[in-house]
Amino acid sequence: MADSDEPRESPGRRGELNSRRGGQLLIGRLKDHGAANYQFRAKEDPSYFVKVLTSRGERILWGKDLRRALTEGETRPKVGDLVGARRIAREAVTVTARERDAEGRVIRQEERHAHRTRWVVEKVGFFAERARMARRLRDEQADLRESVRAHPELKSTFLSVRAAEEFAAQRIANPEDRDRFLELVKGAMSASIHKGEPLPSTSLRERPAERPSSATAGNPKREDPVR
Amino acid sequence: MSTPAADPGVEQVLSDPATSYWLKAALRESIERDPVDALNDALALAGVLEERLRQVMRLDDPI
Repeated sequence: MADSDEPRESPGRRGELNSRRGGQLLIGRLKDHGAANYQFRAKEDPSYFVKVLTSRGERILWGKDLRRALTEGETRPKVGDLVGARRIAREAVTVTARERDAEGRVIRQEERHAHRTRWVVEKVGFFAERARMARRLRDEQADLRESVRAHPELKSTFLSVRAAEEFAAQRIANPEDRDRFLELVKGAMSASIHKGEPLPSTSLRERPAERPSSATAGNPKREDPVR
Repeated sequence: MSTPAADPGVEQVLSDPATSYWLKAALRESIERDPVDALNDALALAGVLEERLRQVMRLDDPI
């Protein structure tokens, strides 16, 4: 089966993609990808396609962002790999609509507001790892040091949560409001990780030089979160 | 029903050293079956295995 999902998508297909399971993550074997006019029609605008063989047949995804997703992703899947594809955002963009004559010359053009879908296309193991990370972040019982040791790439994320906790402690007096705020922050970060979005990179501020305390003197390279 | 040599697609898969033994065996057995039944079963198998992958890797767990 070949179909498209950007920029013009039938409601049925969108409904399928947005269902609880398939909509979240399309899984299949990467068969082909490349630049082409939308739906392989000469008169359509340049786009990018990704052809995936799923358990329900062949699917063709369309979207200019798919090129970036494949070439700048973390796992950079190749043809033949089992991949997952997921929409992670829709960004507002301005597109130029061109009207052409029989010879293909542009005879009229106008700018229109549209939305561009942002994609994550990675080897399927990537999504399993991200799901694990998201669960870890959500686990309120998880020990911070152990979590950072297990997932050092989540260090910035844990630091961000710690910063949110400090902010809440200082600025939100009502304990229920504070818990609600932290729940929202953790939920948003966890959802972002689960979807496959890039992990946040929080840079640590340089601390002013100070005498080493007895607790750190013996371990100067220790990098546990300190905020 | 059919022989591997009659179908270049089948022959290609069977001769590909990257093809798993399991797939080669399943393919050899399947091409002896009714093609409609064989494809139906293969699609059902793919669907079940995808579901299993999603569960084992917890890809669809609510956050």
